[in-house]
Amino acid sequence: MKNSKTIAIIFTLMIFLWNCTERIEVEVDSSFTRLVVEGYVTTDTAAHWVRLSTTSDYFYNQPAPAVRGATLSIDDGDEIHMLTESDTLPGVYFTSPGYYGIPGKTYTLNIRNIDIDGDGEIEEYSASSVLNPVNPIDSITLRYFNAFHYTGYEIQVYAWDSPRKDWYAFKVHKNGKLITDTLYELIVQNDDFFNGNYTYGIASQFLSNDKPDEVVKIGDTITFEINGIPEEYYYYIIEAQSQIFPQTPLFSGPPANIRTNMNNDAIGFFVAYALNRSSTIATADVVDGGIPQ
Amino acid sequence: MKDYAAKADLNYFITPEHTLKFGLISTLHDFEPGSAKGLGDQSLFTEFSLPSNYALENGIYISAESSLGERWNLRYGLRFSSFHNVGPATVYNFNQDYQAVDSIVYESGNFFNSFGGLEPRLAVSFMLNDWSSLKASYSRTRQYIHLAQNSTAGTPLDVWFPSSPNVNPQISDQVALGYFWNLWDDRLEASVEAYYKKLNNAIDFRDHANLLLNRQMEGELRIGNGNSYGLEFLIRKNTGHLSGWISYTYSRTERVVPEINNGDPYAAPYDRPHDLAIVLNYEISKRIWVSGNWVYSTGLPVTFPTGRFEYMGNIAPVYSNRNAYRMPDYHRLDVSVSLAGKDKPGRKWGWDLNLSAYNAYARKNAWTINFVQDDNDPNGPHAEMTYLFSISPALTFNFHF
Repeated sequence: MKNSKTIAIIFTLMIFLWNCTERIEVEVDSSFTRLVVEGYVTTDTAAHWVRLSTTSDYFYNQPAPAVRGATLSIDDGDEIHMLTESDTLPGVYFTSPGYYGIPGKTYTLNIRNIDIDGDGEIEEYSASSVLNPVNPIDSITLRYFNAFHYTGYEIQVYAWDSPRKDWYAFKVHKNGKLITDTLYELIVQNDDFFNGNYTYGIASQFLSNDKPDEVVKIGDTITFEINGIPEEYYYYIIEAQSQIFPQTPLFSGPPANIRTNMNNDAIGFFVAYALNRSSTIATADVVDGGIPQ
Repeated sequence: MKDYAAKADLNYFITPEHTLKFGLISTLHDFEPGSAKGLGDQSLFTEFSLPSNYALENGIYISAESSLGERWNLRYGLRFSSFHNVGPATVYNFNQDYQAVDSIVYESGNFFNSFGGLEPRLAVSFMLNDWSSLKASYSRTRQYIHLAQNSTAGTPLDVWFPSSPNVNPQISDQVALGYFWNLWDDRLEASVEAYYKKLNNAIDFRDHANLLLNRQMEGELRIGNGNSYGLEFLIRKNTGHLSGWISYTYSRTERVVPEINNGDPYAAPYDRPHDLAIVLNYEISKRIWVSGNWVYSTGLPVTFPTGRFEYMGNIAPVYSNRNAYRMPDYHRLDVSVSLAGKDKPGRKWGWDLNLSAYNAYARKNAWTINFVQDDNDPNGPHAEMTYLFSISPALTFNFHF
C-alpha cells in the first residue's frame, strides 16, 4: 500500500454536550461537629459579644445550632472578666456594658463547660488576640458615583497611616446602625502600598443604592469606622470571603479550610482590635449627585 | 508548551552477545503560561500576559546489553541530563512565607540557572524456560518539568512548571519485578509486574492558591515527597480471529508535603487505584470485522465540603482533608464495525466503511462537580456535575488509491 492515498469522508454526529450539567448525589460523610466561635473585643466601651454555634452537615439548610450553657471568660493578662449568656439571642454571650479593650494588651477567650462532640466529657477551648492600636481619622467625605448603571457612594478617607505594619477592616454605619454587616461588605486592607503615608481621600468603602439599607437620604449621618486588626484576622477574612463569594471555579485553587485562631479543632475567630470613627452628614449636593429625584 | 528537539543515536555491536548504544538529545522548551485582556478598545483592563519561559534540556547516554550464557541478559546504562533556564526571565525571590521579596531580571540568551545529574539504570532478565522469564530493574530519573494539578472538583486545571531557582528537579527511583510468559507458540502473552517508586521534590499547590494569571505562581507551590506502588497484569492475544488485550493495574500514589494536609500523607491528584482496559477485535470474515474497547478507572481524588458554619451572617464550608474524596468512577465503551470493499486482482483502488460509536452506552462521566446554592431551593446546596460527551456515533468512508 505504499504511495497510496486515502480520502476519508466522515459523517459524525458528535453529540457534543458541552457544559451539560445535571444534579447528582454526592455522598459525603457527616464531618464531626466542631465548635464555631465569632467573638470581638474592641476599644469601645460596650457589651462585647461572643457567639457560639456548631458546624452542621454541608447539605443541612438550617440556621447553625447555637451552643448554650457555656462558661466564657476573657483574660487580658491582668484580670479575668466573665461573660453572661443572653436570654434572647441563642448562643450569644455578653461582657458587662462597661467593658473595653486597651491597645497593646493580649486578650484570651476561654470557653468551658461544653461538650461539643457529645462524648460526655467537658471540653475547653481558647484563643488569643493582640489588640493593635489604630490611628485616628481626620475626616471623611461622601462622593456619589454612577457607573455602569450602578449607583451609590464611595467613602473617601483622610488619615495618616502609621509607620508600623497595619491591617485594617473598614465598616460603615448609617444613623448609628452598621450597614456593612456581612462578610461580603466588610473590606480588609493591608498597608503594603501606602505604609506611613497620608491617605488623601482614598475610597475605602462603598454604599450601593441597590441595597435598601445603604440608600442615603439628606440628613443621614454616615459614620466610617476603621479597625486595626491582627494580621491573622486579615487573612482569615480574605480566606472566608474567597469561600463565600460567588464561585469562580476556574483558578480558585485547591479548596481548603479557612484558618482559625481557636484551638482544639474549634473554628472561627476571636479578635481584638482598636477602632476609630469619623462621621459626615449627607447634604443635598451629595445625595444622588445633587440631582433631585 | 512547545518543544524543539534534536537527537542522535549510535549502535555499536561488539560481539553478538554485547551491544553498546550512545546517544544525545537536546530540547528547547518554550512555556506559555497564558494571558488575558479586556474585549474592545474601551476596555478598562489592559492586557495582562504572563511572560514565556525558556529552558534547554540536554541528555547524553551510554547503555550496554550483554547476554551471559543462555539464560541471563543484562542491560545497564548511565545517562547524564542537564537543564538550563534561559532568559529573558524575571525570577522572584520568596521569603519563608512564600511572599515575593524581590526579583531579578535576566536578559535574553542568559543561561541563568542550571541543574544536572546522573541517571543510572539496570535491568536483569532470567529465562526460566522456553516460555517464561523473570525481569528485575532499577532506574533513576530526573524530571525537570513538573505538572501541578489543581485537584478541585470544579477546576481540573493543569499547570506546567519548569525547574527554576525556586523549583528543584524531581528525582525518582523506581524498582520493578516482573514475570512474563508466552503460551501456545507466542499466540498469547501474559505478564505480572510489581513496582515501587520514590519521588523527591514533588510539587503541589498550597491551600487557597491563587492561580489566576499570577506572575508569582511559584510562590503558590509547596514541595514534598511522594511514593507510588502498583501491580500490573496484562494478557494479550496477537493472532487469530479474536485478538486484543486486557490490562489491569492496581496502583496507589501518595504525597507528603509539610505545608499541605497538616503534613499527613494524601492521595496524589492523579491517583487512580483501579485501571482496567479491555480491547478486542473480532474478524467475522475477511471483509467484516468488529472491535470494541471498554475502559474503567477509579475517579480522581478531590476535596469536598463536608460541613458548614456561620460567620458574620454568611455560610462558609468546612472541607475534608486534601483529596479525601473521589470523583465518580470513569467508564466508557467504544464499538465499531468495519466493512472493506472486495479486493479484486488488478484493481488499484479500494474502500472501506466504518461505523463507530464513542461512549456507546452514553455514560455521563463527570468532568467537574460544583456545589451550588439555589436561592429558591429550601433544601440547601446541592452537587452538580458537568460532563462533556454523551454517545457520539460516526460513519467513516475511506477511499484509497
